[in-house]
Amino acid sequence: MQSLHIAWNDVKIRIADRSALIMLLLLPLVLTAILGTALKPIMSNEDSFADTTIGLYTADSDSLARIFEEDVLRKLDFIKIESTNKEENLGKMLKEGKIDVGLSIPTVWSENVKEGKLKEVRLFSNSDKELKAAVIESILTSFVSRVQSVSHTTNVVMADLSTSQAVAAGPGEVTELASTITVELTNQGNEVTPITDRTIGKETVSSMQYYAAAMAAMFLLYNITTGAKSFIKERDLETLARLKISPTSDWSIILGKFLGTLGFACIQFLIFIMGTSLFCKVHWGDNVGQLLAMGGAYAVAVSGLSMLLAGLIKEMRTADLISGIGIQILAFAGGSMLPLSQFPDFLKRLSDVVPNKWALTGFLEIMAGVNWGEILPAIIGLFLVGIAAMLIGTLRLRTR
Amino acid sequence: MLKVENIKKSFDQKEVVKNVSFSVDKGEAFGLLGPNGAGKSTLISMICGLVKYDQGDIWIDGLSVKKRPLEIKKKIGIVPQEIALYPTISARENLLFWGKMYGLTRAETKRKAEEVLSFVGLSERAKDKIETFSGGMKRRINIGAALMHEPELLIMDEPTVGIDPQSRNHILETVKDLNKSGVTIIYTSHYMAEVEYLCDRIGIIDQGEVMALGTQRDLCNRLANGTVIEMKLTNLNEEFLQYIKQIHGVERVMIKPDTHAIDICINETENPLPEIITLAVNANIQIETMERKEPNLESLFLQLTGRSLRD
Repeated sequence: MQSLHIAWNDVKIRIADRSALIMLLLLPLVLTAILGTALKPIMSNEDSFADTTIGLYTADSDSLARIFEEDVLRKLDFIKIESTNKEENLGKMLKEGKIDVGLSIPTVWSENVKEGKLKEVRLFSNSDKELKAAVIESILTSFVSRVQSVSHTTNVVMADLSTSQAVAAGPGEVTELASTITVELTNQGNEVTPITDRTIGKETVSSMQYYAAAMAAMFLLYNITTGAKSFIKERDLETLARLKISPTSDWSIILGKFLGTLGFACIQFLIFIMGTSLFCKVHWGDNVGQLLAMGGAYAVAVSGLSMLLAGLIKEMRTADLISGIGIQILAFAGGSMLPLSQFPDFLKRLSDVVPNKWALTGFLEIMAGVNWGEILPAIIGLFLVGIAAMLIGTLRLRTR
Repeated sequence: MLKVENIKKSFDQKEVVKNVSFSVDKGEAFGLLGPNGAGKSTLISMICGLVKYDQGDIWIDGLSVKKRPLEIKKKIGIVPQEIALYPTISARENLLFWGKMYGLTRAETKRKAEEVLSFVGLSERAKDKIETFSGGMKRRINIGAALMHEPELLIMDEPTVGIDPQSRNHILETVKDLNKSGVTIIYTSHYMAEVEYLCDRIGIIDQGEVMALGTQRDLCNRLANGTVIEMKLTNLNEEFLQYIKQIHGVERVMIKPDTHAIDICINETENPLPEIITLAVNANIQIETMERKEPNLESLFLQLTGRSLRD
């Protein structure tokens, strides 16, 4: 019971601290709104490669250009083609927003295909449609590369065959064989390299949603230092000594401090969810239970880590330093500043060990509409991290 | 009520409490007098179970602090030397919190908080945050927090440090009233006047040792053969002081900081005063004033330790 009184007192003290309240409640809302809006062109649905409109100019009726248009581009569901008879129209169409990417296929594109070479295709794009341009470029590169491979392979095989004993069978069979090889390889070449995007859940996550989740993950992290600082402050104010003089066990005091941080983290999370839903129109997914479970587990994790930190440090200055630098590093590594997808591989691997990344990924998955099975490992992981950290912190604090 | 028996405590191999023993009766006001660093706070921390002692034992109402800490904590109230309150919440909220920490019910806590606020004279400031209070008001709430659970033994560790005379008087009256109502008081201070005013019995402590113990009269009677002479001198020098110390009948000599005065503790039966005066004249030192001081705790402390209480 005493633990609950200590926890409630802690929450009241934090609520009474207006600067901390602004920092932990208002700032994440404002940052979400700013980052979500500012990065919308890069991350928004409009730039996901669903529904890409290509402006296509083909200088003549080259057979390879026709194959590329008919058998590749038109077979991809997410691509619409706007044909034009003048190359200069592509730039205009791009400016007017009628197309996302422009492609200009030169005269007799397949002219040098037997030498394994193709003339260059011009690609027009806007800076705010980089993702779509990159996707179309990769389709084009894949097609060109396969055409060149087919052509080159056929040449090599035919050269081999012409010197082998099989030629003795007669020129008719060699011609038939060459034709079969070409057809088979061409068919393979026409298979566009599948563009894989790990689609999780049923919904696509927008930039505003990403940054809402990122800010939730980042600002809840601050509870690690505020929780630890609250402990140090109690010691500096001598209220900790007074608590220890009262008939309250050490365990109850530490549990109370843990619950205080947990309580504030939960309040902060709930206010943030409501704030972003109301003011930034962020959709946090359809499953409130999943969201609360993930948020709760993350709150347990940061509260436990705050106890661990309280057990490791003695000075308020150290806590301030960790708050200023350590939390920023964690937030960066966890994807709260830059989207995780933009990270190089080694950073992606590094980010796997930070709990805020698990929380962020969890929130994004919930927004995308996954089932419980997919987020349960993160929930359990966060919960266990919190409990383990609290126990280690408690032992440290008791022996100090 | 309290029995301290052969208590020893060392920090980093330095003995800070040396074999201390004393007892306090129920309803008594007991003063622990000693300069800063004498070991008073350590002793109090051990009595309330905050610091473990190395040797001996402490008993409160027949219960060992070592063996029954939780039961004992309910019986005692501590007023720490520091303002151990939450500055950003109100006086009432602070009192309610500390009441709950002692297991009071919600109704009891509310009733007691109003009672305590009235007792310390701060009912009108109940809703104000502690950080807006003056030093004296903070000290009064600091005492109030220790009274929430109606302790049988109230231990006050220098509760008047750094406050104005008006607040000090208010606190002293509060303590006096509490004692009259039957609460046993242990009061530590390095202000002799406070201890003299409040306490029935006094223990003088210095460098971790109880130097003297008894009622005020007992202690002053120890000075029956000893007198403290205060002299104001010009051209005071170290050589002169060394000569005085060698005179038969001079027990201690202490220079008063920032003055040209010295306190000389003499044995009246030996009557060393004429020799001191002759020595001053020969050394060309002019005696501006010479005063015999009434025996009090300060002079006793000087006699016992050779130091002032405020050192």
